[in-house]
Amino acid sequence: MKVIVIDDSSTMRRIIKNTLNRLGFNDIIEAEHGLDALTKLDGVDLIFTDWNMPEMDGLTFVKSVRGSNSYKNIPIIMVTTEAAKDDIVEAIKSGVNNYVVKPFTPEILKSKIDSVLSTL
Amino acid sequence: MNVEYINPFISSTVKALTTMCSLKPERGRPYLRSASTPTKSDISGTIGVAGEATGSVTVNFPQEVAIKMVENMLGIQVDEINEDVKDAVGEIANMVAGGAKGELAEKGYGFKIALPVVCVGKSHYTAYPKDVPCVVIPFTLPEGEFTVEIALKINGK
Repeated sequence: MKVIVIDDSSTMRRIIKNTLNRLGFNDIIEAEHGLDALTKLDGVDLIFTDWNMPEMDGLTFVKSVRGSNSYKNIPIIMVTTEAAKDDIVEAIKSGVNNYVVKPFTPEILKSKIDSVLSTL
Repeated sequence: MNVEYINPFISSTVKALTTMCSLKPERGRPYLRSASTPTKSDISGTIGVAGEATGSVTVNFPQEVAIKMVENMLGIQVDEINEDVKDAVGEIANMVAGGAKGELAEKGYGFKIALPVVCVGKSHYTAYPKDVPCVVIPFTLPEGEFTVEIALKINGK
């Protein structure tokens, strides 16, 4: 399973990647923002994206993916500090499959992945 | 001092460091910063906020604390303030402001947060507009003391 991790913070990309590695995901690519990610989606099976990023934010990216013929069915997990209930509702309405609030533990990330994969 | 808007920043700071860095900071008593005694640090991360609360939130770290934090976060050894430390401090600032945002939205103080700005320099400090009160929350770790500065105007007050 090919995974893309999109976050403008290299620290956060590394933390998510390390956690995914421990969970058995080895085919992981990275992008620094939504615009960067849109050019890297070929063959991707699962997307992790931040919300607040330069160039293209996570919400705009999710809407672009859901509006595209080629990538609209790829499951998306948003990993963000945006913890207000209205934010979560807005993200889900935009097409996010699940939502992880930073800071998070590896267990939380795993449960969200399990939840998304079980619906496929 | 309105603890209603200070407490969410205390809990988001403790949660960020406990969850991401396996560190348990002890918090001290918050105080109002005066212009003559600014809070000095070696690296700081600032998040601008705008909405029903407007201003900024800054996390200030001495080098030793910032390095320990990043070593625990990433499982690597760090000798100085490098790109990893700068990026991590920005992300911690993000988690402190973003975490508090959720709690404050429920209390009716909604705001949006900007991307983090990180400043590096021995004993630097942040200057705020004169009409914005700055509340300092001190925290202690075995490696040293760090602070979170809340410089916000609530509902135009």
